[in-house]
Amino acid sequence: MDSRLLTSAVTLRVNGTVHRLTLDNRSTLLDTLREDLDLTGAKKGCDHGQCGSCTVLVDGRRVNCCLLLTVACDGSEITTVEGLSDGWSLHPVQEAFLARDAFQCGYCTPGQVCSAVGALREMAEGRPSAVTVGTEPPSGAAEIRERMSGNLCRCAAYPNIVRAVGDAAERAAEWWERTP
Amino acid sequence: MRTLRYQRPEGVEAAVSAVNATPGARYLGGGTNLVDLMKLGVETPDLLVDVSGLPHHDIEELPGGGVRIGAAVRNSDLAADPLVRTRYPVVSQALLAGASDQLRNVATVGGNLLQRTRCLYFQDAGKPCNKRAPGTGCPAIEGVHRNLAILGASPHCVATHPSDLAVALAALDAQVLVEGGTGPREIPLTELHRLPGDRPERDTVLEHGDLITHVRLPAAPEAVNSAYRKARDRASFAFALSSVGAALEVRDGLVHRVRLALGGVAPKPWRARAAEERLRGAPATPEAFTRAVEAELSVAEPLRDNAFKVPLTRHLAVRVLCDLAGRAGGPR
Amino acid sequence: MDILRTPTDLAQRGHGGVGESASRPDGVLKVTGEFAYASDLWARDMLWGHTLRSPHAHAEIVSVDTTEALSVPGVHAVLTHADLPAATHYGLEIPDQPVLAGDVVRYHGEPVALVAADHPETARRAAARIRVEYAELPLVTDESTATAPGAPVLHPNRSDHYADRVPHPNVVHHQPVRRGDLAAAKARAEVVVTGEYELGMQDQAPLGPESGLAVPAEDGGVDLYVATQWLHVDREQLAPVLGLPRELVRLTLSGVGGAFGAREDLSMQAHACLLALRTGRPVKMVYSRDESFVGHVHRHPARLRYEHGATRDGRLVYVRGRIVLDGGAYASSSPAVVGNAASLGLGPYVCDTVDIEALALYTNNPPCGAMRGFGAVQACFAYESQMDRLAAELGMDPVSLRQLNAMSQGATMPTGQPVDAPAPVAELLRLVRDRPLPPPRQWETAVGTGTGFDLRALPGGLSNTTRGEGVVRGVGYAVGIKNVGFSEGYDDYSTARVRLEVVNGEPVVLVHTAMAEVGQGGVTVQAQIARTELGVAKVVLHPADTRVGSAGSTSASRQTYMTGGAVRNTCLLVREEVLRLGRERLGDTHPGWRGDGLWLRDGAVVTAGGEVLADLAQVLGDDVIDLEREFRHRPTEPLDPENGQGFGHVQYSFCAHRAVVEVDAELGLVKVVELAAAQDVGRAMNPQAVVGQIHGGSVQGLGLAVMEEIVVADGARVRNPSFTDYLIPTILDTPTMPVDVLELADEHAPYGLRGIGEAPTLSSTPAVVAAIRAATGLALRRVPVRPEHLTGT
Repeated sequence: MDSRLLTSAVTLRVNGTVHRLTLDNRSTLLDTLREDLDLTGAKKGCDHGQCGSCTVLVDGRRVNCCLLLTVACDGSEITTVEGLSDGWSLHPVQEAFLARDAFQCGYCTPGQVCSAVGALREMAEGRPSAVTVGTEPPSGAAEIRERMSGNLCRCAAYPNIVRAVGDAAERAAEWWERTP
Repeated sequence: MRTLRYQRPEGVEAAVSAVNATPGARYLGGGTNLVDLMKLGVETPDLLVDVSGLPHHDIEELPGGGVRIGAAVRNSDLAADPLVRTRYPVVSQALLAGASDQLRNVATVGGNLLQRTRCLYFQDAGKPCNKRAPGTGCPAIEGVHRNLAILGASPHCVATHPSDLAVALAALDAQVLVEGGTGPREIPLTELHRLPGDRPERDTVLEHGDLITHVRLPAAPEAVNSAYRKARDRASFAFALSSVGAALEVRDGLVHRVRLALGGVAPKPWRARAAEERLRGAPATPEAFTRAVEAELSVAEPLRDNAFKVPLTRHLAVRVLCDLAGRAGGPR
Repeated sequence: MDILRTPTDLAQRGHGGVGESASRPDGVLKVTGEFAYASDLWARDMLWGHTLRSPHAHAEIVSVDTTEALSVPGVHAVLTHADLPAATHYGLEIPDQPVLAGDVVRYHGEPVALVAADHPETARRAAARIRVEYAELPLVTDESTATAPGAPVLHPNRSDHYADRVPHPNVVHHQPVRRGDLAAAKARAEVVVTGEYELGMQDQAPLGPESGLAVPAEDGGVDLYVATQWLHVDREQLAPVLGLPRELVRLTLSGVGGAFGAREDLSMQAHACLLALRTGRPVKMVYSRDESFVGHVHRHPARLRYEHGATRDGRLVYVRGRIVLDGGAYASSSPAVVGNAASLGLGPYVCDTVDIEALALYTNNPPCGAMRGFGAVQACFAYESQMDRLAAELGMDPVSLRQLNAMSQGATMPTGQPVDAPAPVAELLRLVRDRPLPPPRQWETAVGTGTGFDLRALPGGLSNTTRGEGVVRGVGYAVGIKNVGFSEGYDDYSTARVRLEVVNGEPVVLVHTAMAEVGQGGVTVQAQIARTELGVAKVVLHPADTRVGSAGSTSASRQTYMTGGAVRNTCLLVREEVLRLGRERLGDTHPGWRGDGLWLRDGAVVTAGGEVLADLAQVLGDDVIDLEREFRHRPTEPLDPENGQGFGHVQYSFCAHRAVVEVDAELGLVKVVELAAAQDVGRAMNPQAVVGQIHGGSVQGLGLAVMEEIVVADGARVRNPSFTDYLIPTILDTPTMPVDVLELADEHAPYGLRGIGEAPTLSSTPAVVAAIRAATGLALRRVPVRPEHLTGT
């Protein structure tokens, strides 16, 4: 087989920078970020979509990038934990995780932070979760817990994560206004 | 993972012919299950035909009250759709009970229906498994099977189908719209998945090259009063031990319309037709619900370690029905 | 050699001394994704290592053929047992574990061969082409198969120091603890309860898999960047295996993604170094998640039988216990786990007559060793279950029964050791009991749902469909005792290097230890201690490496005590040196220099009264004070092999829990509504981090109670090596966890502190199970408790 068929040209916009890459079709977005783009913030905790450590935002939505083939992300806008800060200050979610000590070993933290950013946006958009009752706008600790349940933390910094995400909720909304 | 080619076809026809032409080809939707299985060596495609760019992203209201859902609609988008949330809450609830937000943001409707079993032996490419490697045997029957089937299994396979969405769709008599080599056709969702019999390697009736393009939900007024409930080993982000999707309409204390399907207990989403049959016209009481569900489960053949799923499923189903009856104004 | 993302100094200019909730010096790096974990390392020209593992739990290796694997393009080396350059075995205490299996494999997943290749996928594919012929052998899987007549002896010709005193060669270690006259006590007992208990195999499941980077050095040595719990003990095991003097084996700690005991033993360390030395290229190894599940030791599954005798009024008269721990194929830390289980097997109670024996087996199951709680977890589940049974038998309140028998300072352990520090067991129980209970039936009182009814508060959450009719609340209590630090005569020490200098007019302290920061916040506490003792705002933490003396392991709840103690002592010596220099250079300038009680504050030398004598810049000038010192806790003694008597432990740590659960008995679903803890920490060095540790330990105990178990089946194979099949608690499974912290100083310990990391893991499990028992009336002798155990089917 012509080995050129086994690779593809892919354009990704990652944290605002455009990258043109030629990649093996098997490459996952997680491996591309970590091995080709030197962005090791997203972590390989399980590589099977079961822990959430690799959570990044693709076109604004949080995803487990270990299960995405990079070739299928051609043309996507990707934000990793490294791209959340605006260059001057930390993202409100990062600030809140620091202030609440919402981590111990920190390995799951990049995924938790990206997931929280995505979750807050989904809540702001009124998207339901399994615990959303009726059509009222989702808010509160029960919603945060349900929506963050795809991110495992073995240190179990969970109580502080709930608080951190709650703290960040209002500030994050402002943040999105400023940095679309 | 094996080396592979990747294509983004221009249209449905191109997609179908690309897969038809290549025995080792697979359609790629969100990939949350397929890529996982490729990493495990369970799936070894040499061509991926990416159908996520095909025009199957819409959720459309149909004349007469039904809804047509594109196969490429993301699980989270379907769950959040206002029409689906009001007319078919069981669908939204089933989706939101499964996986995590990160997975639901990627997984598609078509892919969800075609996900493969979570049986440990199927997932372990180093072990025998009739579903993965026909004729090698089923170690689950004597092995680790706590979460496997109590209904519809065979001596060749006791796997369960893992989809939550499919259970809701089975209850609603959804139709699956398929494009294949011979043109479009519709398959009732309840007939999409197969029981294993002596061919457990075939999960569905689809032929190689068949592409799910849409799922059509027929009008079902009783579905306004519907619910999906799921019991699992932890509070979230776990597959079902047992699940129930149901819709109920009660008139004058009697069951007027009922839809009931069970998940996590069979090789396919299990439409509980025997129970429905008994319930039509019966009083909407816990006793009647219990008798009906027991009738459905009377054919259960649990394995050594999963007998608990029989009463678990009975309790879950009866409660869902009671709850729906309560909401419908019937006694509970 | 270009190496990316090696650990760097952590500099922090801030406030927060001992007793304050100072922030983590590595915090910003962790929330921005810049913190370099071992799996993030990269070196120019590096190769990727892969391990071929045994598909059988017990088999003879008939032949190994690497020809085909070596011919795969991109492969640089394939190593088997025959290629090992020096020592062929290693082990924490007993070197019984082959670096690569030789004639025989003893567990499923045992490393057999190694491949280095230019891509991880190439290495994996090449490993699959190594032809190994096995002849399967009969399995030893439990006590009966291990000690049956004619049972295969897994480690023939043992020469370890337990070999002569074990009852069977498949017993790693056996420790009785006997005290008092059992026959007489039995005659006195008015009530006797017996019970058998079982714990499944728990996994530490750190989110960061085993990983590291080995870089060959020009001097013939090797530099290893690795996620581990104890750099120096890794080096002690590596040097003989590599055939190198230990000074040529240099380790640097990389970012550690959780540990919990899983990184106490070697995993990929020797393998990566061997491949690097063979190929002359840097070699990176990262385990996949399923490999991690077989690539580290687990918590010992256990079977326990207890008999408690008491008087009618509830005083313990005697306690007998037999604790059988499955150690799996290799010794790992089984002997110490046995010592803990036996010596702590009574629990935090007073009883004059005790007859407890603990033993660990060699089997063909996965090797078991260190996990948070280490032998004390297993015993606590059993003795606390027994205390509840005894209370029920006596018709007593379970908390009152515990308080009646609770130990306190001055009590005597079953080992004869006096408890010579505060032991506020009854008080901890009181604290959790006196907390107001969470409101019952919260699903009815929840507001804002519009229905006056909130399914989310029910067991199973929205998956539930009752209105709570079948839901029963239960409340359960438990308390536990854990030793802190290394016991039984081990020469336990830690080392700290502290350097003080003035840079650009600002005094700067550099703290350099080999302590493994695994998330516990040890680096935070080191900086707090330096700020407190040296009065300096800017503290720089040097990466942990083997250029400084050993810090001992980040385990046994010991690092704040030991490395904290080492940093403190070295700081005090640095301070003495500052004062000496000050007196020498400036003593004539102010009479205050002649007084006692001088100390350092805000970058200056001050008198006891707070008067500033001189800035550190004035005292030091361009001089640098750079000291490295060891710190030891008071010595302990080995336990007597016959009766377990001896001053075995340095310090004890106590935690109590009250669990409130709501159980849907029909569905078998449990919701832990609240898990309240009370713990004596001696001194809360960093209150925020203390609460974090208590939360973390409590949730891991909750996981063992209701969901976590490695399934070993189909010929002793790990059947659920994934996070879909081995479930750990999510944020949604985590209850409200109020914490009471007592600070009763232990005068033997620095700052009076007490090691805290493990105690909360002990009592959490039995408290949750007790609550489920209270709700259901079921006996529940085994954890984890699953739905099928509650529905009676």
